[in-house]
Amino acid sequence: MRTLKCVLLLLVVITMSGCWDRMEINDLAFVTGTAIDLTDDGKLYCTLQLAVPGSKEGGSSGGGGGHKGTFYVISATGTSGTELHQALQKKSSRKLFFSHRSVVFISERLARQGIQEALLDVFTHDPRNRLKTYLVLVKGGDAKDILELKYPLKQVPIEVVNEMQKSGDDVTVTLRDFYIINQSEGKHAALGAVELGDRLKESQEQLFQSAGTGVFDGDLKLTGMLDEKETLRLVWLMNKLRFGRVTANMPKDYGEIGLILNQASSTIKTIIDDDTVRFKILLEGKGMIEENNTTLDINNPNQLKIIKQGMEDTIKQQVEQLLLKLQKKYKSDCVGFGQEIYKNNPAMWNRIKGQWDTQYQEVTTSVQVNLTINGAGMVHSTLEIRK
Amino acid sequence: MRRFRKGITNHKFNHILKSKSTLLQEDKDLLFTADIEQNEAYFKEAFVDCYDVVYRRIDIHSNLQWLVVYIDSLIDKKTLEEYILKPLQKSEGGEAANELVSIGTMTSSDNVSETIAKLFQGHAVILTEGCSEVMTVCIPGLSKRSIEEPSSEPVIRGPKEGFIEQLSTNLGLIRARLKTSKFKTECMVIGEYSQTQVVITYLKGIVDDKVVDQVRARLQSIQVDGILDSGYIEEFIEDQPYSPFPQVHSTERPDVVAAELLEGKVAILVDTSPYVLIVPMTFWSGMQSSEDFYIRWPIATFVRWIRFLFVHFAIFAPALYVAITTFHQEMIPTNLVLSIAGSREAVPFPAMVEALLMEVIFEALVEAGIRIPKQIGPTIGIVGGLVIGQAAVQAGLISAPVVIIVSITGISTFTTPRYSLRNGIRLLRFPVLFLAGTLGLYGIVLGFLGIMLHVTSLRSFGTLYFSPVSPLKMSAFKDVFIRVPIRLKLLFKTTPDQEGGNR
Repeated sequence: MRTLKCVLLLLVVITMSGCWDRMEINDLAFVTGTAIDLTDDGKLYCTLQLAVPGSKEGGSSGGGGGHKGTFYVISATGTSGTELHQALQKKSSRKLFFSHRSVVFISERLARQGIQEALLDVFTHDPRNRLKTYLVLVKGGDAKDILELKYPLKQVPIEVVNEMQKSGDDVTVTLRDFYIINQSEGKHAALGAVELGDRLKESQEQLFQSAGTGVFDGDLKLTGMLDEKETLRLVWLMNKLRFGRVTANMPKDYGEIGLILNQASSTIKTIIDDDTVRFKILLEGKGMIEENNTTLDINNPNQLKIIKQGMEDTIKQQVEQLLLKLQKKYKSDCVGFGQEIYKNNPAMWNRIKGQWDTQYQEVTTSVQVNLTINGAGMVHSTLEIRK
Repeated sequence: MRRFRKGITNHKFNHILKSKSTLLQEDKDLLFTADIEQNEAYFKEAFVDCYDVVYRRIDIHSNLQWLVVYIDSLIDKKTLEEYILKPLQKSEGGEAANELVSIGTMTSSDNVSETIAKLFQGHAVILTEGCSEVMTVCIPGLSKRSIEEPSSEPVIRGPKEGFIEQLSTNLGLIRARLKTSKFKTECMVIGEYSQTQVVITYLKGIVDDKVVDQVRARLQSIQVDGILDSGYIEEFIEDQPYSPFPQVHSTERPDVVAAELLEGKVAILVDTSPYVLIVPMTFWSGMQSSEDFYIRWPIATFVRWIRFLFVHFAIFAPALYVAITTFHQEMIPTNLVLSIAGSREAVPFPAMVEALLMEVIFEALVEAGIRIPKQIGPTIGIVGGLVIGQAAVQAGLISAPVVIIVSITGISTFTTPRYSLRNGIRLLRFPVLFLAGTLGLYGIVLGFLGIMLHVTSLRSFGTLYFSPVSPLKMSAFKDVFIRVPIRLKLLFKTTPDQEGGNR
């Protein structure tokens, strides 16, 4: 009797719990990427890229062929995520499996209209959505084009992930980052962007390239695009710069200097006097001179000082311009100045929260750049043609 | 506190064995008489229809003086002729037999059943006219195998001697390693018909006397008609006979026995079996190879960790593959999941059936490999390897990842150095695989917990099977997780521990 009871109890453990979602791996359709577009009548147009599992035959035949038939694309129109999912599942003979999706592309047009309802809800509920999925804007054109693009290497989403991971000076935002920005006080979102690139000669293959950053305002509407150079400054301001290249013209027509930044950090200091807020931004960087097209000799400490000063001034000026653009033109606080106030003085933040979007445009900031130039011995002075 | 299971006393089997008992047993009180003809009649009665029993009569002055009885196949004939028959024949009469015979081991008795028992141990019986005291002379001449390298526990560095089927040789091999009077050997006979000699050995002073008492008690309670291998004894004295894990360590190597005796264990030698039993056994002694102690300690430690790692592979590798590919596809990197899915595209079976099929075929290959005559062994290897490795994958019956997993599992199994522990591990793979196929990773966790609960609660002669790791003792770091250099080991030498630890 005792053993019978034990066996019954064990059976309860086995039947009542556990994962009864057994699914053979070859009954799944692996979604590698999603693209969301806006149709002319204001509906959502969702495209999925599905991977064709690398088959044994493909492997052994090797050689040419390559990417041919490594993926296919299905799309559907709808107004909500559920509707889209249902329509897409109907088009797929196998169960759609989203855990391996690496990128969600959003078209610029949809982003300008606002991505609030299109994105936030669908992706939050299903636990099979990876929070590590990258959110990427597609600059110009339709997002689906980028999924249909035939890339010479692997499928586009996988390559986009590579691009995002290797990059040190791009805005890389995953679903998780996006949700965190969205839920935290006083910060607006910014997403990295890609666009269709060159077409390869004599083949249908086409490239894509990263295309700066899209910045959003408080209503999650895209307000403007930044170019590659501005993106680097923005990433530095956000204190996320891992490495990057900066070039600057030296004063007095000395010429141009190229610098590789190895380490970069930013500190934003909030200064609150009564009811006005000021920000002091300190950008610090450590780098090596990569290119020296000037007549300055790096080995000479005095001339190195000139180089350092010249670089710092250029960067300072560019960052100030960028801040002005973000404040006045795009009205996007993607650096998170509001958040700085919230962290330093929550009481004050609660008071001004309501008007922050307008106040932000008038806030004064001062930028200070502090560069350390290492490895001067590697470059020396410019090669001079003997006369 | 040490806890022992009660000795095995099978009262209900007693009557079965009683009814089978032989003349030798029944006539325990029968004594020889002074009449030599009468004494001969006793033997003739006992050995009716036994053509290999020889009665050699020796007359002096045409009177029957001596009768030599022996079993032809069990004695050394040369010795018999040279040192027994020759001196007896040459004598003039009047001398006692023990004055004439020059053989080391002699006994004398007037008890018939005792004397008959001696006959089977290679003694020749000498009956003297007019004397009720019967003399036996030990001249064993049973043919035996030469000492070879043990096939089940080969080592690269270390002694290459292995036990053989003869008890006295085996004892000698241990004696050669422990030249001390503290090395005790207690003999007893088990088996109604087989009358197998079983010897309990231990090192007095190092061993825990309670364990010796327990071994003695459990051996004495064995009632069986025949012992053909020490495996019989092992099953009788185990604490938990229904466990897949062996609780008695069996080895073919005299150096292992000597080492274990030095650690205070008890070894049981069984005549006609090359396997010596050692108790108490722990899981960790099953994971150690004797070679660990003969090679340098850093590599020995590393190899030991490899074994720990691959024991897990041996049990869980196929289960993990099945669980992850059928329940948790999100855990596999994208590129890998696509190639696994691609290779499974043509396969008609679910992953679990596929893995089970391959595991069963692999076990069949292993079994066939043991049974197969040496001449056709390579054929099976090629056929098995080609058919399973190549053809089955190309035909689309089995996917390539499963073949890889099964091969890894097969290799992993054989990293466990002890044959009997290895067998237990081989068996556990299947229930875990089944759990994984029905419940996914949750099932594997359940299986792992089940195994751990069982293993940590097992006891072998009062020692916890998982000690010294559970309960954790410092000695675990000395001789389980790492193999410390031997000179340090002696520095930290601890006395036998009463609380379940093995040292």
